[in-house]
Amino acid sequence: MDNAGILVVDDDREIAGAIEKLLESEGFQVQKAYDGKEALEALVSGGIQLILMDVMMPRLDGLSATLKIRESRNIPIIILSAKSEDSDKILGLSMGADDYVTKPFNPDELLARVKSQLRRYMLLGDMGNESKANQIAIGGLLLDNDAKQLTVDGEPVHLTAKEFQILEFLMKHAGMVFSAEKIYKRVWNEKPYSVENTVMVHIRRIREKIEINPKEPNYLKVVWGIGYKIEKI
Amino acid sequence: MDTRLRRFSTNGMTKFLAFALVVLALAAVVVQIQYAEYMNGNVESLIVDKYIDSEEFYYGQVQSSLYRVSRAIEEGEAVEGTLDCIYFAADGEKTFGNTSWTEREYYGQYGETFYYLENGEWQAGENANPPRFSYGIDNTEAIAYMAFTDEYMAGKQLDWEENRAALKPLALKIAASMVLALLLIVYLIWATGRKPDDRELHMAKIDSVYSDVLLAMFLPAIGAWVVSIREFAFLRNRVFDGLGMNEVFSMALTGGATVVAVTVCGVLLLSLVRKLKAGKLLKHSLIFVAFAASYDFFKSLFDGRCFKGNTHTQSLFKRQWAFIVASAVMVFLTFVFLFSGVIPLMALPPILEILIIYWYIKGNNKTFVEINKGFDDSLGEQMKAERMKIALVTNVSHDLKTPLTSMVSYVDLLSKEEDLSPSTRDYVQILSEKTDRLKNIVSDLFDLAKSTSGDISMEMETLDIKKLIEQTLGDMEDEVEKSGMQIKTRLPDEPVIIYSDGKKLYRVFQNVLDNALKYSLEGSRIYVELEKHGGDIVAMVKNTAGYEMDFTEDEILQRFSRGDKARSSDGSGLGLSIAESFTRVCGGNFKVVLDGDLFKVAIEFKE
Repeated sequence: MDNAGILVVDDDREIAGAIEKLLESEGFQVQKAYDGKEALEALVSGGIQLILMDVMMPRLDGLSATLKIRESRNIPIIILSAKSEDSDKILGLSMGADDYVTKPFNPDELLARVKSQLRRYMLLGDMGNESKANQIAIGGLLLDNDAKQLTVDGEPVHLTAKEFQILEFLMKHAGMVFSAEKIYKRVWNEKPYSVENTVMVHIRRIREKIEINPKEPNYLKVVWGIGYKIEKI
Repeated sequence: MDTRLRRFSTNGMTKFLAFALVVLALAAVVVQIQYAEYMNGNVESLIVDKYIDSEEFYYGQVQSSLYRVSRAIEEGEAVEGTLDCIYFAADGEKTFGNTSWTEREYYGQYGETFYYLENGEWQAGENANPPRFSYGIDNTEAIAYMAFTDEYMAGKQLDWEENRAALKPLALKIAASMVLALLLIVYLIWATGRKPDDRELHMAKIDSVYSDVLLAMFLPAIGAWVVSIREFAFLRNRVFDGLGMNEVFSMALTGGATVVAVTVCGVLLLSLVRKLKAGKLLKHSLIFVAFAASYDFFKSLFDGRCFKGNTHTQSLFKRQWAFIVASAVMVFLTFVFLFSGVIPLMALPPILEILIIYWYIKGNNKTFVEINKGFDDSLGEQMKAERMKIALVTNVSHDLKTPLTSMVSYVDLLSKEEDLSPSTRDYVQILSEKTDRLKNIVSDLFDLAKSTSGDISMEMETLDIKKLIEQTLGDMEDEVEKSGMQIKTRLPDEPVIIYSDGKKLYRVFQNVLDNALKYSLEGSRIYVELEKHGGDIVAMVKNTAGYEMDFTEDEILQRFSRGDKARSSDGSGLGLSIAESFTRVCGGNFKVVLDGDLFKVAIEFKE
């Protein structure tokens, strides 16, 4: 994985150059393309395991290019865009992108996301779909109930018993929203009385362990004023 | 010397004393007149020297005696009761009298008081005052003589002079009081409104009352005085041995009533005088104001002033009046032709009226179309401007973010270089911090621009705002701990349900709490409260500022503003502006209240 090939697509040559330097310093093989068309051509020559794709580009824009690539390839695509609206993110992900990073990005976070996608693609590519009994897989999360073990993109994460129980309960019902009271009742087995803070603090700690950017979580989300949920991916 | 006199005469105390003196003097006049009444003093004695020439004598004695003697002759009986005069009468058959004398000469010796009946008419003796009314009788045969003896008249004259002697000092006192009061009133009229320190006219509080109202207030004051005088001063007993308790009491009441009445009337009078001096006696009256207002109202119906500067509506207005006047002329012409009998001509005005109506409607329609067009145009312009604003925000945001991305990335690469000198490392550190801050500002600016332009997507759902606040507090626990502040919550036990956008509300509370954590006095408490009164939901965050807040509630919500002394290097300064804007798009109301060092944010929702 350390010498995986990454294609950086951005019409701004300085940004492309900066990302190239960043990735090369981590040992990746970087190719550059300056618009969607060039990206498609570069893919033909092979040796690419991940694409970083800008959206607003001349000739062929990033969303259309993503759509084109998805017709034939299952390669991870991370969209890099100055558009930060929720609707832009949803649109990008629905076009087949695996992740969405807004500009200006934190270089370390970008690196973490690149590594996360690569790990998932290269190491767990075939495991994600056929999880064993008593295992729950959601995106890069894999929860093994027998071993009481959670891995994120293949890396084991240490959770406390309560954190594990909360995550297990939410992952079992991925996509459903649960109130703090309900979570407390299930996990603590006690009558809930003003438990919002307790649950929220636990959720926050879990997020710090499993999310790349806890402030913009991919998996564990707070539904403000209602409850908590694990996103169904 | 002149100024000293002026200072004295316009002094408030002087004026007050003068006013009090006027009141007392006039009250004294009334009481003294009443006292004179009690003494049964006849004021006439002051003017008429001799009793014989007085009205008192003429009406009280002569006239009534003539009348009674005449009645006696007509009825053929002697005068009933007693008479002060001596008389003799004969009707041809009988004779009457109250003396034994029957000769004319006897009565005639009192020439100044002698009256005789001749041919049914009373005549005066040579030196007597002639009768002013004739008590003639039908019986021309009858004769009568009447006179007052010298002894009687001399006694009466003595009484008369005694009376005068008693009244004279009283009369002098009354006259003196009145002259004093009059002079003081003249002085007060001159002095009112003036003050020693300047030459301006000073109005009093009562002067704000309309002139005609002031004038009308004289009526009840004077009316009440008249009624009370009648009630109190009914005693008309002659005073024999000093004044009785009743009289003294009555005089005190009369005096009191006069003091009250004169005070009220004096205040009113001086107010009117001040208004006259200020030249607003007439203008500042209810009648004038009402008249001016109604005149202005009617004038506004005709002069079209409210359409000034607007050609379309002005032309509508003018056309409307032209139409009304022309139609009225047509109606008038119809009647003229009808009454002058020119029947065939009567068809003319209706035909003309139809033309007028056609002209009126056509002209109006044209103007309406023009107005509509203008309205549509301005609406279109507005929409275009709004769209341009939104596009601008999006484009500018993109154009700002792209170079910023390069900056962030290269600064990061630079910081990872190993062979940097220590000072270069410091510079890179500063660059890194500043680009981070710029990143935050651009992001916040974009959020704010989006929400204030109204071009923002909302995810409305039913949620529990109490839970949202608790979640936000849990989410921010690290920041709270780091800041060293204490958070005190007062939330209701029951869920507080509203329909709103949870993510945006989270931003609202996050920003408000962030602000409180950042700018609170070290170690102080932050209060987070949620209350529900009926349908009104109010979330309140209160903190004590750690610095003097030298800005207003509005200023702190202005974009980019921050309390100057609290400027720190992080944050965009847009936190509260974003909170306010987001609250508004969520359907709430955002208020900042500054109370000394207390900083309060109230976020209000309707259920």
